[in-house]
Amino acid sequence: MTATKAFLAGFVLLAGLVVLALSVGAQGFGWGDGGSLVLLRTPRVLAALAAGLALGVGGAAQQGVFRNPLADPGLTGVFGGALFGIALLLGFFPEAAWQRAWCIPAAAFTGALATSALLVVLGGGGGTSRLLLAGLGLNAFTAAGTLVIASRSGESRELLTNGAYGDWLGMATLELTWLPVLLTFIAAAWLLTLARSLDLLSFGEDAARGFGCDVSRVRRNAVLLTALAAAAATCLVGQVAFIGLLAPHLARQLVGPRHAKALPLSALLGAALLLGADTIGRGLWPQAPLSAAAVTAVLGAPLFIWIARGRHE
Amino acid sequence: MSEVLIQALGLGVDLGGRRVIDGVSLTATAGQTVAVVGPNGAGKTTLLRALAGLLPCTGELRVTKDRAYCAQKPFSAWDYRVRDLGEIVGDPAGFAVWLTKLGLADFAERRLTEISGGEQKCAHLAMALAVLPEPYGALLLLDEPTASLDLAKQAAVHQAIRACAQAGAACVVATHDLAFARRCDQVIVLSEGRLVATGQPGTTLTLEVIAAIWGAPDVTEA
Repeated sequence: MTATKAFLAGFVLLAGLVVLALSVGAQGFGWGDGGSLVLLRTPRVLAALAAGLALGVGGAAQQGVFRNPLADPGLTGVFGGALFGIALLLGFFPEAAWQRAWCIPAAAFTGALATSALLVVLGGGGGTSRLLLAGLGLNAFTAAGTLVIASRSGESRELLTNGAYGDWLGMATLELTWLPVLLTFIAAAWLLTLARSLDLLSFGEDAARGFGCDVSRVRRNAVLLTALAAAAATCLVGQVAFIGLLAPHLARQLVGPRHAKALPLSALLGAALLLGADTIGRGLWPQAPLSAAAVTAVLGAPLFIWIARGRHE
Repeated sequence: MSEVLIQALGLGVDLGGRRVIDGVSLTATAGQTVAVVGPNGAGKTTLLRALAGLLPCTGELRVTKDRAYCAQKPFSAWDYRVRDLGEIVGDPAGFAVWLTKLGLADFAERRLTEISGGEQKCAHLAMALAVLPEPYGALLLLDEPTASLDLAKQAAVHQAIRACAQAGAACVVATHDLAFARRCDQVIVLSEGRLVATGQPGTTLTLEVIAAIWGAPDVTEA
């Protein structure tokens, strides 16, 4: 498939999904009187789009920076770190958390950045298994930390547990979402400027430097921006592990591995996947919606296995 | 006197607490080719990486900014098409020209996993060559560019190196190909990170040096 066709198909799919997502909900199918239900559903749709976009582009960027098709911020603990950051804030400074719009995103970003830094230190330079092992360890640690805090703080318990299950989209309001949405777009746009450098980096540090690439700067920026995207996505939806793996694989399958094409298509597909998952979860069970993360995993896992098999045959 | 494009004096490199390069000196001017030879583990790759500015080193190193480095074992994490590589280094036209010169013109649409190791190596060399805006005044650092290549590709690579040198580039080439080394302007013989001999091929690649380093008679001499 040519890149133009893939992007066109992606946009049409996304547009269709947005219309569908705005049409379904707890009140059933329809837009309500004068579109009142549409207004009600807009923040949730916006949050799902932005979070999916951040998951898609963040996954592709992390895979690029670690030169590893299995590096997914969900598996390597970066999302876990973001949620752990939020948990620390809610657990120890519950009053401060809601005072300013930036408090929770800042906590998520700090957590994501700290995990990313640890991942670079502990998992860098040792090939696939070392990176993934370090990431899995960090993921387990941050998940456990979040659950410990959740179990000890009565007020935030349900909130944090829902976050760990990727079930925050239902809380989306414009007040809560505008900042993470903005951060997502900033991170995504900035990451796109690193596309050619990530291509060069794929040949290894030495080769990339030999081709005139400022490897340290690219790596630092990519890690920072991936952490920012992960933090924004976590604030919007909670923890969703799979899209960061699935969207980039699908994108590379469709338009090839050049980051200039794979990064934006991965963002587009990530947005479509999360919005699609959330819409299915709400549309099929309006009274007790399934979380976007659960639907993503149920539908995404077989799709991912199918893609992975195709890749290696 | 031609322009000096690289000058290293008493270069030393430590890796993991071990002295890998010790007291190596080298000068190359525009138009010169320098072969770096030595047995496996002699420090050829480390020396080239240090000269390319990829490793911290002690001693004195002056090197032109206009340089390209071609790694020994290029490998991309992603399965690009060969033609993508030109866009990745920012000069598709220049890359295509070198690709043709290296005999890979018909491979532009193939993916990297669909071509052989030797062909990948040539494609990588074409990337390195395409990075240079023009050969004159540039430094090429090539790490075993002909290893794992068939005879035709070896000839094409040697011809590309000579063409760059004739156009005014300085080429420093790590190699096991002593026949090629004999046709270079200078040869540097390394063993265990130290200079064993340096100078013109006739004075460096002597039977004594070869026997001392490789412990085998020079078959190319015969």
